Amino acid sequence: MTDAVRLTSVAKNYGAVRAVDGVDLSIARGQTVALLGPNGAGKSTTISMILGLLTPSAGTVEVFGTSPADAVRAGRVGAMLQESGFPASATVRELVQLARALYRDPLPLDEIMATADVASIADRRSDKLSGGQSQRLRFAFALAGNPELLILDEPTAALDVESRQQFWAAMRRYAATGRTVLFATHYLEEADDFADRVIVIARGRVVADGSGAEIKKLAGGRTVSFDRAGQDADAFTALPGVVSAQARGERVLLRCDDSDVTVRALFEGGHRVANLEVTGAGLEEAFLTLTAKTELEPAR
Amino acid sequence: MTAYLRFELRRLIRDPRVIVFTVVLPVLIYFISTGSAGAADRIGSVQVAAYLMVSMAAYGALVGVMSVGIGVANERATGWLRQLRISPVTPGQVVAVKALLASIMAIPSVAAVGVIAATRNGVELSAPQWVALVGLLWLGSLPFAALGLALGFSMPPNLIQPASMLGVFGLAFLGGLFVPVEAMPAALAKIATWLPSNRYAELGWSVAGDKAPPLGGVAILVGWAVVFGGLAALMYRRSAAQK
Repeated sequence: MTDAVRLTSVAKNYGAVRAVDGVDLSIARGQTVALLGPNGAGKSTTISMILGLLTPSAGTVEVFGTSPADAVRAGRVGAMLQESGFPASATVRELVQLARALYRDPLPLDEIMATADVASIADRRSDKLSGGQSQRLRFAFALAGNPELLILDEPTAALDVESRQQFWAAMRRYAATGRTVLFATHYLEEADDFADRVIVIARGRVVADGSGAEIKKLAGGRTVSFDRAGQDADAFTALPGVVSAQARGERVLLRCDDSDVTVRALFEGGHRVANLEVTGAGLEEAFLTLTAKTELEPAR
Repeated sequence: MTAYLRFELRRLIRDPRVIVFTVVLPVLIYFISTGSAGAADRIGSVQVAAYLMVSMAAYGALVGVMSVGIGVANERATGWLRQLRISPVTPGQVVAVKALLASIMAIPSVAAVGVIAATRNGVELSAPQWVALVGLLWLGSLPFAALGLALGFSMPPNLIQPASMLGVFGLAFLGGLFVPVEAMPAALAKIATWLPSNRYAELGWSVAGDKAPPLGGVAILVGWAVVFGGLAALMYRRSAAQK
């Protein structure tokens, strides 16, 4: 079966700025995938290209083996975007009914209203909704057509904790019916909790791709660094707690999932570790460290 | 697409204020300007009351038709058009529905001014003439629908109102809807005959004078429809390319 989504060497430039810089990825049908990355990483741009809202500067995007525009036109894709909105003079119910009428094989009205939790605001005009309510309406509109691929761009951005939980519960029910779900987020917890697979994007590139647990291990760790003093970074990869080792300038950098164990092993093993430093890494920093391997000069 | 059209029509009917605004001013000006005209007064071969009826109906039609651009600019800003772009409705269908809605907005003013002219000013047209008048002023409004869409796809919400007002007044004034071409200085009169607004009203003036609209005028109107239609397509593509 063809993949739900396939990107091949996709790049997107805005003038001189390269928002997406050579992304290759494929998403099999039925997967729930998180696109994780800091703000400005290229998540929204990538999603816009998958939806055919933007044309890539280079590379190809395929959705169910066809162009994004064809897949959208055929009603196989539903999406919830941050900047999308609704006309003021229509009610929630009218908008959901319109969405149903636009697709060939929509979900029953009651099911949409219940899943997206908009039954209580059905008769309210779309301009009289709170941020969270608008977000639920966007979700209702996205899922009304019973799409095979559901794309959500930072779906919980405007939600409080309770609505956030309700939202993910609804999303999980939808994904359980065998649909493909792709959502963007900058919360690692969200990605880990709700996705089978997490693709990390930073500076327009895929920097990590794996299960939530794997990504968490990479991101949750610390960096141990010390003066290199002529030592080879590779010599440290086998130490307990070390995920990866590299030389950067005159320092050795060890990415660790358990820095305490690593530090103990360094001293007990009799290594020369002058100017030792242990730093925690934010998500962005953690993933930029991952990419640094390819971008900085390799260890000699 | 029919579902989307029905949805838009329902929104239009729900908010009749827009329609009222397109009707009030032309009716008022018609009242004032025909006050002193006698039944025997004529502009060209057309009775003054009938001539001004067409002028004001056409002016109100322009206001109504161009108002669609205001809606489009706002829907662009709120993200509704973006939402539609990720649904099975194609951009072409959205533009077609908008153009149809725009042209429908020509009808209230033609009807209102026509009713006043017939009941108060004694303008007498045959039933086929009335039908032809409404029909031609509806069809002929297409270039203005395209212009309104072009503005809607290119202007931000805070500029669309003055921009379309300038467009409507400029076209109405220079096209001889407020001051008949016959009373204009020669240079302005020459410009007027090349404008779509003048050729649009000419459809109505011809019907009122019981003549077929001149082909040259229809050709100019079609030409403008092509120009404005192309402009609207260009502006749509530009607005779609910005995220």
